[in-house]
Amino acid sequence: MENLLTDAFLSSLLTGAIIAGIPLLLAGLGEQMSEKAGVLNIGIEGMMLFGAYLGFLVAFTFSSVWLGFLGGIAGGMMVAALMALFCVRLGLNQIVIGIGLTLGAEGLTALLHHFQFSRTYPRLPAPVRADLPLLTDIPILGPSLFGRHPVVYIALALVVIMALLYRRTNLGLTLRAAGEKPAALDVAGGRVMMIRTAAVLFTGAMAGLGGAFMANIAAGIFIPYMTGGAGFIGIVLAMLARGRPFWVLTGALIFGGALSLTTALQVAGSNIPTDVIQMLPFAAVMLVLVLYGRKARLPAALGLPYERGAR
Amino acid sequence: MTKFLRSIPLAAMLASSTAFGALAAEVDTIAVLTPEQGSDFGWNQQGVDAARAAAEATGVEIIVAEGLGYGDVRAPLRELAAEGADLMIAHASGYNTAAPEIAEETGVAVAIVDTPTAIKKGLIADYTLSGHEGAYLAGVLAAKMSRTGTVGIVVSGEPPSWNSQSAGFAQGVKAENADVDVLYAVIGPAAYSDAAGGNRVTTSVIAAGADIIFGQGNGSSFGMIQAVETNKATDGGDVLFIDVIGDKSSLDKGHLLTSVVWDMTPVYTAMIEDLRADTFGTKSYAISLADGSVSLLETPQVDADAWAAVMEMKDRIVAGDITVDAIFDAEEVRALVTVTE
Repeated sequence: MENLLTDAFLSSLLTGAIIAGIPLLLAGLGEQMSEKAGVLNIGIEGMMLFGAYLGFLVAFTFSSVWLGFLGGIAGGMMVAALMALFCVRLGLNQIVIGIGLTLGAEGLTALLHHFQFSRTYPRLPAPVRADLPLLTDIPILGPSLFGRHPVVYIALALVVIMALLYRRTNLGLTLRAAGEKPAALDVAGGRVMMIRTAAVLFTGAMAGLGGAFMANIAAGIFIPYMTGGAGFIGIVLAMLARGRPFWVLTGALIFGGALSLTTALQVAGSNIPTDVIQMLPFAAVMLVLVLYGRKARLPAALGLPYERGAR
Repeated sequence: MTKFLRSIPLAAMLASSTAFGALAAEVDTIAVLTPEQGSDFGWNQQGVDAARAAAEATGVEIIVAEGLGYGDVRAPLRELAAEGADLMIAHASGYNTAAPEIAEETGVAVAIVDTPTAIKKGLIADYTLSGHEGAYLAGVLAAKMSRTGTVGIVVSGEPPSWNSQSAGFAQGVKAENADVDVLYAVIGPAAYSDAAGGNRVTTSVIAAGADIIFGQGNGSSFGMIQAVETNKATDGGDVLFIDVIGDKSSLDKGHLLTSVVWDMTPVYTAMIEDLRADTFGTKSYAISLADGSVSLLETPQVDADAWAAVMEMKDRIVAGDITVDAIFDAEEVRALVTVTE
């Protein structure tokens, strides 16, 4: 075991935890806003996947990862626009539409990939790192924590920004009102439909950015179905976090860390059966759910379409 | 009485046609179902290509249903049965619950993978294939060419076919050089398309010292390849990749060492012939070095001397001088890899 515990190996595990956690963090932050506004955004998996596809397509076409991230945001928002149209504007069932959008995104991206990339499978070059001076020299922690792509730091900054938004601004209160008592918000002159539409579009942007991060940084390639349920894990994180962005960050890091732990245990040749090891990330989330989930309180109007004047 | 006598030839004709039908089913259309598009240079592509080749060889029509995902495929199976398929090849281990159910429901024969216990005469066949002999040779080659003395196995799941190849690879490494460490990591329970996970896990295995990666992963293989291409080994040199099932040499950027290539055409051809001969679902199907359905890919990265030695070993396996056991159980695979106490 001692032979394995080199700086390089430990650093790679820590890096793996962060890279696996960032897409979940972005998806969870997006879902959190949607749920605050009263929209259960089951389509987030489809938004991530389309963001991953469009993000990779743009990054590869223009040889720019940054443009790729913009493409990913646009891709996520495109799917989110359909969610907003069907669920917010037309008041259709949010779960049915969400599942439909996810299945549609899976099929469409697989088809597009087949025609565009299936003969060449292009890969992006290794991602650029933003080394923070001095900090990156810290053994093990330095390269993992302070030598990552700038989007990692943007995602972490978003946690703080979202927390401030929800706690300290009128917009945060308005979002909560749209999810708790949309009729009251309407009576007070708030625009429920607009708030909910904006929240859903923001969710799409975050999910798309997370998908693009997965394709452009974590994998370096787009593969059909590559999100593999990350969007649904984002939903779970958002629900467990009870409206607190820092809890989404904690959950994402626990999940990412548990994923890296599974690798460490296997590479170390642990005698624990692989099936048990592979359960760790999910068991960790379930444990948190058991410990804290009972206190979870979801917005009163979550999942309910709003129609002015309806009883 | 006259009426009775007249009916005898008719009854005899009916009886003979029924009996003939039971002995030799008419097969004019087959279908193949794959979870991803048949263009992945791996499991899905080999399945589709082999089914097309088998259809052509046996003179039957083929319906290809690709990119069906890893979820419930009962609806497409029913559709294919309704379209007239006489044999449906359900080419994913995730389909081995739904396909037998639909076979019972529709009476259309199905072929499934990784479930040898589910076979049923005339209705359900299993083709749990194993390229373990080729993987053994790949292991020998890896042990000969590793600079760091550590090689890695990265898989996106533990289906029996992959377990047997992981075991074959580990056995080959140890047979060539018992001092070489074999690291083993599974990306996830069924992470077949998890390219990000493939990249993450492979990067860690490389950081742990491996300079050659034996990767089995469908879509996630491309994440492994990306990790191999963008990371250096602990000795500062390049990392090499050993692929399975397909030939990715047209995509290679100088890191592909070899591939354990499968050709499933003989298996599918035999299934069609067995269906016609009413022996479908009565035996197992196999691929091997001997008939060329398993082979090792030569690339520019292979050392010539090492390749010559490996080919010599291949001849000894084909001749029966060396026997490579097929090990399908994941626990037994782990017993073969390096355990660091």
